[in-house]
Amino acid sequence: MNVFEYQAKQAFRDNGIATPKGVLIRSVEELDTVIGEVGLPCVLKSQVLRGGRGKAGLIKLVKTKEEAKDTAQKLFSCEHNVKMILAEQAVAMVKEVYLAVTFNPVTAKAMFIACAEGGVEIEILAKNSPEKLVKVEVDITEGLGAYHINNLLFGLGISGDLGKKFGALARNLYKTFRACDASLAEINPVFITKDEEVIAGDGKLIIDDNSVSRQPNYQLSRDYFDSDVEYEAAMEGIPYLQFTGDIALMCAGAGLTTTVFDIIHDFGGTVATYTEFGGANYTKAVRTMELCLKTPSKVILVVTFGTIARADVMAQGLAEAIKTHKPSMPIVTCIRGTNEEEAFKILREIGLEPLTNTEEAVQRAVDIAAGRK
Amino acid sequence: MSIFVNSNSKVLVQGVTGKEGSFWAKHMKDMGTKVVFGVTPGKEGQDVDGIPVYHTVRRGIAEHDADISMLFVPPKFTKDAVFEALDAGIKKICTIADGIPLHDAVQIRKAALSCGAMVIGGNTSGIISIGEAMLGTIPYWIERVYKKGHIGVMTRSGSLTNEVTAEIVGGGFGVSTLIGVGGDPVPGTRFAELLPMYEADPDTKALVIIGELGGTMEEEVAELMQEKKFTKPLVAFLGGRTAPEGKRMGHAGAIVSGGKGTVKGKTEALTKAGGKVARRPSMVPLLLKEFLG
Repeated sequence: MNVFEYQAKQAFRDNGIATPKGVLIRSVEELDTVIGEVGLPCVLKSQVLRGGRGKAGLIKLVKTKEEAKDTAQKLFSCEHNVKMILAEQAVAMVKEVYLAVTFNPVTAKAMFIACAEGGVEIEILAKNSPEKLVKVEVDITEGLGAYHINNLLFGLGISGDLGKKFGALARNLYKTFRACDASLAEINPVFITKDEEVIAGDGKLIIDDNSVSRQPNYQLSRDYFDSDVEYEAAMEGIPYLQFTGDIALMCAGAGLTTTVFDIIHDFGGTVATYTEFGGANYTKAVRTMELCLKTPSKVILVVTFGTIARADVMAQGLAEAIKTHKPSMPIVTCIRGTNEEEAFKILREIGLEPLTNTEEAVQRAVDIAAGRK
Repeated sequence: MSIFVNSNSKVLVQGVTGKEGSFWAKHMKDMGTKVVFGVTPGKEGQDVDGIPVYHTVRRGIAEHDADISMLFVPPKFTKDAVFEALDAGIKKICTIADGIPLHDAVQIRKAALSCGAMVIGGNTSGIISIGEAMLGTIPYWIERVYKKGHIGVMTRSGSLTNEVTAEIVGGGFGVSTLIGVGGDPVPGTRFAELLPMYEADPDTKALVIIGELGGTMEEEVAELMQEKKFTKPLVAFLGGRTAPEGKRMGHAGAIVSGGKGTVKGKTEALTKAGGKVARRPSMVPLLLKEFLG
């Protein structure tokens, strides 16, 4: 779960990291009082989850109240679905540094990644000048030691009073990472002021999806989704993505669904919705179809090959879904796995042909979508 | 021969009295797996289909030999259960838990690395040496999917494994040992770490890997092939070739970010190392035939 910058900065402050003075607004009118609090000039930062906000024009420096209101109005009405803006004091800094904590899945350790040149796109830097990155790995069972911080600081060439402050920042970022069950805690850039204060200029925090249940501060809300139906699906725990093509996918199993998605494209078809009703959702066919039908499509394609998610249960679920929602478009099925003979029988009883070959099923769906069948 | 688990392996089952644990422990036994005892705290003295139950792994180990632990334990208790098995000296562990918190998964892998143990999973359907033994939730009874033969299989996925394995068997081949490393971002064991076992196994003539976008596990396999540490024929199928960047499709481990972890990059690495990459599951047996005739 990728959280908004304002939430990342709250987590940073909770763990002792300084951030610029800022207030979150959801309407232009709030700026009247907020400008008084954060001062001018200030930065208006659109709270959206996409990367590259600066380049997309979603972060703006403003010098007067009029300019602030005018700019906020434009941001709220732009095509990027901006619902919140963080109005933040502009910080006069002399240097920017990159600092992040993530995991190295090979060594099974936490890993600081730092670079004395912050504010840049770290992926580009990693590709073009990897020697500029300082990496320090930490065994999270043993915990963070002074030697880790020393390796980080001396690697970056930071020492003296600034070294002490930056070291404290690194400790606190590690603390945030651990406390939030994060897969990434990133400050890009860390501002260093002429008085050698270290301040989190930006904040990115990704909470591990498997840990959200033990992170009560981060619960899903409508704010995180582009559409109502995506939010609804997420609340049900049903993986759901909207596209603009023809075929509504109701599949089971993450790997299989992704593969069917690939084969559709191979055969010249397009996808309207991506849904999975496997795993813990294998009894949720009725609900999954309801979500699918909220996006226009020309054909529904059901492909499963389940073990615990029994074929007969999934076929029965599909039969109930059809009875409940009476979809007007054709349905192509390829439901296999445990008790598949029983599944085939159920499908035949409701007038569906039980295909058993995935590629044949995809080809048929693509043909129907193209009006060939 | 076979790898990781065979008909002589002595298997203990943690979480044996639960709904899934009791159901699948029975299936494991039915297939021929030697299940020596089970563990559920508070349930010592009971038995599950003839499998004696103990409060803890150490209490069971005091009475029976065991060399593998199979876990049917909920995700949030999995770290503790793995640590318990390691503490009792078990060196091979498999967990099917789907939803292990990331920081727990990292500690599980680190603990296993530190003591020379191997944890397979989580978020896997398990391991099967066909005709010998099974760990987990693999539907060995579907004959057109699970037939004995000489193709090793390593996979990050569940349903997709059934799909690809059905193609392998449909093409006239069979499977030696299938190991699901699971779909999590930090699996207990990585593809490359299993390669030496497949290389040494006389029952495995070729290896199929079922991978997907995200992470670097497929690239690590290519590296070992380049170094000639794995020399058998290798065919891969990789899901997510057309997945849009930045969208999470499929497993938690399956996301492309910053241009890394693409199927294109993985395909190039494996091909350069001498492997063949199938564009669709149906092409896996055709590529195996190119290698094996």
